Amino acid sequence: MKNEQYKVHPGEPVGMIAAESIGEPGTQMILRIFHFAGLASTMTTTGLPRLIEILDARKEPTTPQMIIRLKESYAKSFEKALELASKITEVRLRDVAKRAVEDFQNKRVLIVLDKQALKAADMTPSQIAGLVEKKFGAKASVTKESNLILKPNVEKPSEIRNFSTRVMHSLLKGIEGAGKAIVSQDKNGEFYITSTGNNIEAIMKLESVDAQSIYTNDIFEVYRVFGVEAARNAILNELVRTLEEQGLTVDKRHLKIVADAMTAQGDVKSIGRHGIVGAKESVFSRAAFEETVKHLVNAAAFGEQDDMMDVAENILLGKLVPVGTGSVKLKVAGDAKQKKQKEKGE
Amino acid sequence: MESLKPEAVKAIKFGVFSPEQIKKLSVAKITVPDTYNEDGYPIDNGLLDQRLGVIEPGLVCKTCGGRAKECPGHFGHIELVRPVIHAEFSKIIYMLLRSTCQKCHRILLNDEQIDQFKIVLQKELNKEESSEETVNLENAIKGLKNIRKCPHCGAEQEKLTFSMPTYFYLGDKKLKPDEIRDMLSKISNEDLALLGIDYSTSRPEWLILDTLLVPPVNVRPSITLETGERSEDDLTHKLVDILRINQRLEQNINAGAPQIIIDDLWELLQYHVTTYFNNETSGIPPARHRSGRALKTLAQRLKGKEGRFRYNLSGKRVNFSARTVISADGFIDVDEVGVPEIIAQNLTVPFYVTEWNIDEAKKLLESKQPPMAVNVILPDGKRKRVLDTNREELIKGLAPGQIIERQLQNGDIVLFNRQPSLHRISIMAHRVKILPGKTFRLNDCAAAPYNADYDGDEMNLHVPQSLEAQAEAKHLLEVKDQVFSPRDGRAIITGEQDAIIGLYLLTKDTTYLTREEATHLLSLAHIRDLPPEKKKGMYYGKDVFSMLLPKGLEYEEKKGDKVFKISNGVLKEGTVTKSIFGEGSNLLVAIAKQFNNDVLKDFITNAARVGYAYATMAGVTIGIKEYLLDEKAENEKREILSKMYENVKKYVKEYKEGKLEPLLGTTPRQSLEQLIMAELDIVRSKADEIVRKYVKEESNFAMALANSGARGSTLNITWISLFMGQQASISGGRIYRGYSTKRVLPVLKPKRIGPRDHGFIDGNFLEGLKPEELIMHANGARASIIYKGLLTARSGYLYRRLSNAMQDYYVQYDLSVRDPHGNLIETVYGGDGVDPTKVRFVEKR
Repeated sequence: MKNEQYKVHPGEPVGMIAAESIGEPGTQMILRIFHFAGLASTMTTTGLPRLIEILDARKEPTTPQMIIRLKESYAKSFEKALELASKITEVRLRDVAKRAVEDFQNKRVLIVLDKQALKAADMTPSQIAGLVEKKFGAKASVTKESNLILKPNVEKPSEIRNFSTRVMHSLLKGIEGAGKAIVSQDKNGEFYITSTGNNIEAIMKLESVDAQSIYTNDIFEVYRVFGVEAARNAILNELVRTLEEQGLTVDKRHLKIVADAMTAQGDVKSIGRHGIVGAKESVFSRAAFEETVKHLVNAAAFGEQDDMMDVAENILLGKLVPVGTGSVKLKVAGDAKQKKQKEKGE
Repeated sequence: MESLKPEAVKAIKFGVFSPEQIKKLSVAKITVPDTYNEDGYPIDNGLLDQRLGVIEPGLVCKTCGGRAKECPGHFGHIELVRPVIHAEFSKIIYMLLRSTCQKCHRILLNDEQIDQFKIVLQKELNKEESSEETVNLENAIKGLKNIRKCPHCGAEQEKLTFSMPTYFYLGDKKLKPDEIRDMLSKISNEDLALLGIDYSTSRPEWLILDTLLVPPVNVRPSITLETGERSEDDLTHKLVDILRINQRLEQNINAGAPQIIIDDLWELLQYHVTTYFNNETSGIPPARHRSGRALKTLAQRLKGKEGRFRYNLSGKRVNFSARTVISADGFIDVDEVGVPEIIAQNLTVPFYVTEWNIDEAKKLLESKQPPMAVNVILPDGKRKRVLDTNREELIKGLAPGQIIERQLQNGDIVLFNRQPSLHRISIMAHRVKILPGKTFRLNDCAAAPYNADYDGDEMNLHVPQSLEAQAEAKHLLEVKDQVFSPRDGRAIITGEQDAIIGLYLLTKDTTYLTREEATHLLSLAHIRDLPPEKKKGMYYGKDVFSMLLPKGLEYEEKKGDKVFKISNGVLKEGTVTKSIFGEGSNLLVAIAKQFNNDVLKDFITNAARVGYAYATMAGVTIGIKEYLLDEKAENEKREILSKMYENVKKYVKEYKEGKLEPLLGTTPRQSLEQLIMAELDIVRSKADEIVRKYVKEESNFAMALANSGARGSTLNITWISLFMGQQASISGGRIYRGYSTKRVLPVLKPKRIGPRDHGFIDGNFLEGLKPEELIMHANGARASIIYKGLLTARSGYLYRRLSNAMQDYYVQYDLSVRDPHGNLIETVYGGDGVDPTKVRFVEKR
């Protein structure tokens, strides 16, 4: 091969080099924690906090985000995009209601609706009444002031309170977990949707959505829906994105090895004592990292053995480390001589 | 002792000592809760019994006969009259108790499950794939506590409760340690194996202590203060406490004291033993010293950053090293390091005497000038210092197999390091150059990988001793092989600042040099020839630069309309700037690719040195005149500012009247903010245009510095000469934090939205800032300082976690990435197996 001379050398401790290459620029990250993506007010966590979040393999990102593209035939139409956005945006009763007044005497709940918010969500009071009736089996009626009166079929005040909170939180419209969807326009004049939540499965089923190009920053969502290999790519993409945003150049190979290490066990593991380090076989590797006493105590009680295979314990004993030049096992000619002599002797 | 050499360690097995093993190991039964008697002698059977080892010079160990430093110390033991629980193991004891039957002590699994377990365990032993089943195993053990009826004897299980740190209850009845021990000792070896316990080294009843191992005095040395007062180690104090309570408990038992008193003392003994192991055990107050300071007991010695593991074992102190302040020196090569004479005379390198170099060795021994021999190490390992008195004798006895330790000399390979060592190029191999003075000298081009400057930075130097280490340093760590960063493959050992401005001015289209000037510059690069004359008696700057380039170099770079072209080793077109010779230089990539790292190193050294010299020759300097702009610029500035104020006023008016059309997806207030910010952005770029229009690099070094990329930008000139502009808050927006009356500072009017109310500064550094402007400016500066502190702590921890997670991964001969256990991480490193330091040789960027 032509590029043979540019290949890595066998033995190269690429894990350590990757760790250094990501850790070293950490201090250079721009201090801004939040970042406004475009004109729309979608804030996302960026920089070091986001990097830590990815490597911690948090179950949910602090600022979830989906980028949803429309099918080609719809992409140029603002109306279609708006329609889709309103289909996606979660609207809960509390979003369109000013307050809920519980009337314990008459065993009913009065919901004062926010006319403006209702208009923005493109809903009518009677629509809501219908939804609530269907969902909760409670009787709902619209007052003259176009507010709602709900009659739940429960008696106790505590149950009525419970009912009113549940009703306020109930989803009237949109896709569970999808958050707020906002329409934006890209350089090519195509409209796309940015949303502050995550639910790929449901969004993919929507008709006007280009299912292949949905992007989410939630790694676990990707893992649940598409599996580990996809999660590995999701981690890689998010790492690349986070670092590029900061104007830091880190070779992709370093990021790949992190993503691969996090997913090598078949699920998504974090970088830290609950993830990769905690799962190490070597007692000393774990003890030298964190929770020293706990690891030593457990090792003693179960009678564990450390086979001196990892880097950490070899450093503890002052031995050569089993990576890099230390990984090379040379057979010295002297050995061979002795062997021959032995054979002769026999 | 030979067999205990570290090389001999193949594995380390953990386990728990049985009382019998402790007694076997012990050389003394400790009974007296005291240390020294009135005469200052260690009391027999006391905690400093002389059989436990010696630490004072002159005394002899009663067990092994060794002197201080020879005797490794010996263990003793304490026999406790009542057993106590080892609190560190209480969670495991709880696990064992709840997993086994309270009556027949069998594991609470039915026979079928036991068979299943055995299969899984066997698989794991053979290292077969069984990840899914292992999870089941752990969960199954966790689930055992919910089993109410023993599947073996059918006994109903009472509710077992555990309360930290050492209390166990069966139903309402409290379990005493001896009762627990009885229960544990009845668990069969077979059942323990099912729970993953190696019963040969860790029988659970040994977790209940009736014999306590007493560490040797070497582990807990007493300190003699200047006043002659003895001060004992925290561990000794703790052991005294244990012995005292043990004695009292014994007396009370023998005297037939009421059970309640005995239980109280027993409890107290438990407390002391618990805190002896870990004085931060949750649920109990820490044992304190007389002064009120919490005692540092066994767990505290091991734990954390300053504990035994991270402080003494993962990190070690070394010999053959030196540390001092660094300063810059452009006259040494990039791969050299200037070493002060005093340091060079103190550090040594082994010289291995053979029959082929014995003459050289003799000369070394005879020398009374540095570099001279310091020690001679004889084949038996004895080290003899070379003195004038024994020099002759040593020369006579000189023979192959001996090792002479000689002082450092020019050309020796050493490792140079600056902390924090964040990446591998924080340690590089340099060649020694001994220089007068007391600082390490460093070529400035090699400062970037260390992230070093010369405002008082100190650096470390290590001398590799073995031939293997020297060879490794030379072939893997030399500066010339580290020009390209492992992080992204960009050049990091490059020219900077002075070098760049110098070469920029030298390679400008208009630069001509006299013969004297040209020879001076080229002599610095050890070049004896001159380029062809351009005009009469004058030499072209670009031609002088070309002399530094490797012969036959081909290179071309286009950036916008700027072309930089070298053909056949001659600079045909273009000017050297930061993007050519600075960080990330592609020219250096081309040199490395077309030639080799030695040529590359020489080019960097020589070009930078010529750059420094030409910068001096050209008289690069900055004074106040650089920043005094003429009247016209001042007028234009006023114009753009007033226009900006007008526009903002218009937007604010529109907003207040409710006429402002909101932008897509925002409220009117957000839109207003965005419009104002955009306006402020425009005014800044207009200021930039003014600077470019009125400041010319021909007459202004500040501008030349900015254009060459050596230092600063037009923005800096704007700040000094025109206006400071918008000061950003950390959120990225304008500054809003302030009083509840909606103003940032008391001098401002409440509720205003205008530019000056939220951090726009129209003053400049030359005229000085107004007080409110200064505060606005300081606002951002302070925030960034605070954030930097927080950020370094966070990123430091992230780095630690990353390195601990991935330090074991390395590339195999088939280019796959694995850990030493053989677990596969990547099938081909990075997908293509390309070395990141060489990506730029392959990919075009």
